[in-house]
Amino acid sequence: MRTADQARVLELVDSRRLIVCVGPGGVGKTTVAASLAVLAARRGKRTLVLTIDPARRLADALGLDGMDDALHAVPKQRLALALGSGHGELHAAMLDTSVSFDALIRRIGTDPETTARILDNPVYRALSRTLSRSHAHVAMERVYDAVESGQFDLIVLDTPPLRSALEILDAPGRIARFLDDGVVRWFLKPERGRLSRLLPRGGAAATRLLGLLASKKLVDNTAEFFSALVHLKQGFRDRAGRMHEILRAPSTAFVLICAPTRASLEDCSFLRDGLIAREVPIAAAIFNRAFVAEARSGDNVPGAADDLGTLEAALGLAELEPTRAALAKTLLFRLARVKSQAVSMNRTALAAIDAFFARLPNGSARVELPEFERDVRDLPGLTGLAAWIAGPD
Amino acid sequence: MSTVRRASVRPPRPSTPPPPPLREPFTQRLQLFTGKGGVGKSSVVAALALEAAARGLSPLIVELGHRASMEGVFGHNGIGYEPSAVGHGVAAMNMDFQLALVDYMTEHVKVKAISKAIVENRALRGFFDAAPAVPEIVTLNRLRQLIEARQGAGFRHNPVLVDLDATGHALMLLELPSVLDGLIGGGPLRRLLMSLSTMIRDPQLTRLHIVTLPGELPAQETLELYAKLVARKVPLGALIVNQVPEEPFGPEVELLDDLEARARIASQSALLLEIALARRALQRQKLASTQIERLTKALPLPVIRLPLVLGSGIAVDDLKNLGRLLVGSGANASSADAQ
Repeated sequence: MRTADQARVLELVDSRRLIVCVGPGGVGKTTVAASLAVLAARRGKRTLVLTIDPARRLADALGLDGMDDALHAVPKQRLALALGSGHGELHAAMLDTSVSFDALIRRIGTDPETTARILDNPVYRALSRTLSRSHAHVAMERVYDAVESGQFDLIVLDTPPLRSALEILDAPGRIARFLDDGVVRWFLKPERGRLSRLLPRGGAAATRLLGLLASKKLVDNTAEFFSALVHLKQGFRDRAGRMHEILRAPSTAFVLICAPTRASLEDCSFLRDGLIAREVPIAAAIFNRAFVAEARSGDNVPGAADDLGTLEAALGLAELEPTRAALAKTLLFRLARVKSQAVSMNRTALAAIDAFFARLPNGSARVELPEFERDVRDLPGLTGLAAWIAGPD
Repeated sequence: MSTVRRASVRPPRPSTPPPPPLREPFTQRLQLFTGKGGVGKSSVVAALALEAAARGLSPLIVELGHRASMEGVFGHNGIGYEPSAVGHGVAAMNMDFQLALVDYMTEHVKVKAISKAIVENRALRGFFDAAPAVPEIVTLNRLRQLIEARQGAGFRHNPVLVDLDATGHALMLLELPSVLDGLIGGGPLRRLLMSLSTMIRDPQLTRLHIVTLPGELPAQETLELYAKLVARKVPLGALIVNQVPEEPFGPEVELLDDLEARARIASQSALLLEIALARRALQRQKLASTQIERLTKALPLPVIRLPLVLGSGIAVDDLKNLGRLLVGSGANASSADAQ
């Protein structure tokens, strides 16, 4: 039976074109993203899952050998085997920052010469290597291309952990804004006493600063980089505008994925508040490893023996030799302790989730996933997980 | 209630071997901690800071970014860019990139008003936001200021414990020189970079600890991270494996199959549920042991195991116990059994 919350997640998978999965590291975000994509494929959609996770976990789970920057389709036969008939398509790609950034420059590049000038520039090469900050750009570019290609009904985007996830939202305009800013002009027209114009109170100091912060070589390289990049300004601006629209379109959903540990909830709160501050609706919050199923029934199970004597008698422990009987009693005690710890963990997690959820905007679906005995490693595993997320068929 | 029904039986605790301690934990004044999100890095950092304070040192916790986890840990609001006391002899701060940039400028430009004007200039800010390695340079520069700050005959902050936020962040800091290689010529910037690079590679001054979890994926990622760190020649401290489940049973576990058979015959469904949970706990513990063994064999680092502390909020007392476990002065692991 499908709960109302699960039905809402299913509705997202059925109706949206882009699902952005956001959450801290170590919560199973990549697995949940893949699971949503598998669900969509199962419901007949042409689906793409884009991941940035450098661990090749998703590739393994999807049964793809060596996933890289290119789009890989999960073979039809494999899909049919795991999902039955009537399935759609499932594609996956992993973002490789430097490769993707180069591809972006090539796409936007107005002419081969400009493109080559940028790609060979040391400042550009260092920039495209500062992974933490260019991931967001690259992810957005890939999403943009995938959306515009019209090749997919649904794109599921897995994001880097923490702050960089919010940068996904901030990234599109940044390069364009950067190119609009005075700094580019400043670098490009170095002969007009711009220091005193920019910094009326600190012209001399700023000169000194530049000497300190950026050696002449760096300044020259940067100017060269900008002079090439400025040709691409319109291209960046157009894409930024379109990306901004896509991310805030009603056909896009943000899904927050958390685990109910203290560290994870703290990070998740940061993301939640960041999304709210950017006025991005959180369509669903999925809590992974939220409970242990066997301990959910609580302390009292009807039919359980209430005292040790009755239980021992029911189990026939008296027939054991004394030392073994003593061990058995110890075991009974320890078993009770294991159970009460699990029950107490379930309760603590539930309380933490309640508190977290209370600060989500109205209308977010709430889904709790159990702790599974083993990691999800294959398509059937992802399908099984999807049944927990969006309800069984 | 099941907990009540057997409360009269008080067996001995299962014996867990004492974890090996962090040897000479506070010899280096700069202690860096790296590890993926969710591994409990901030708990480890807080625990060590508390232990340092208990030994009469004046620890400072530095968090990068705007997370301010320590506000929750110490129940102290308003941790900002300037170090402030958060109780228990510990100070904490958040490394704000913009403010660190002002500090950096001030150090070189000397006049704070001018350095602020530079940093707040819209055009230049665009440059600083996008320029490679600027956040890393100013962050390291601020760390250097912090570890060099004097108070009387000694250092104002000792040790400085830095929560590096994520592995990517740590690697960026460490590979600064190679990122910038060929980008900058000679001159003051190169000298500064070299001195910062020397600082994080100085074994007398710096230790980098890796925090991880006893799972298959975290272990794999730890092995990969280790290889990258070694390539960057940073002095490594310990591998701290956090949230290690305790052994749920002693020798009595041999009776589990027998008891399960009896429970089945007697239709004791509640007991069967408990046995299922027990098997899960055993499996989890076995998985953790396997991964810890794998890491211990593969890495020439002291491996420190920290127990799983249950509950969503860790009390300062729990952290103090963790801190004692980290440095090996707390022989009693039972305190970690929070429930």
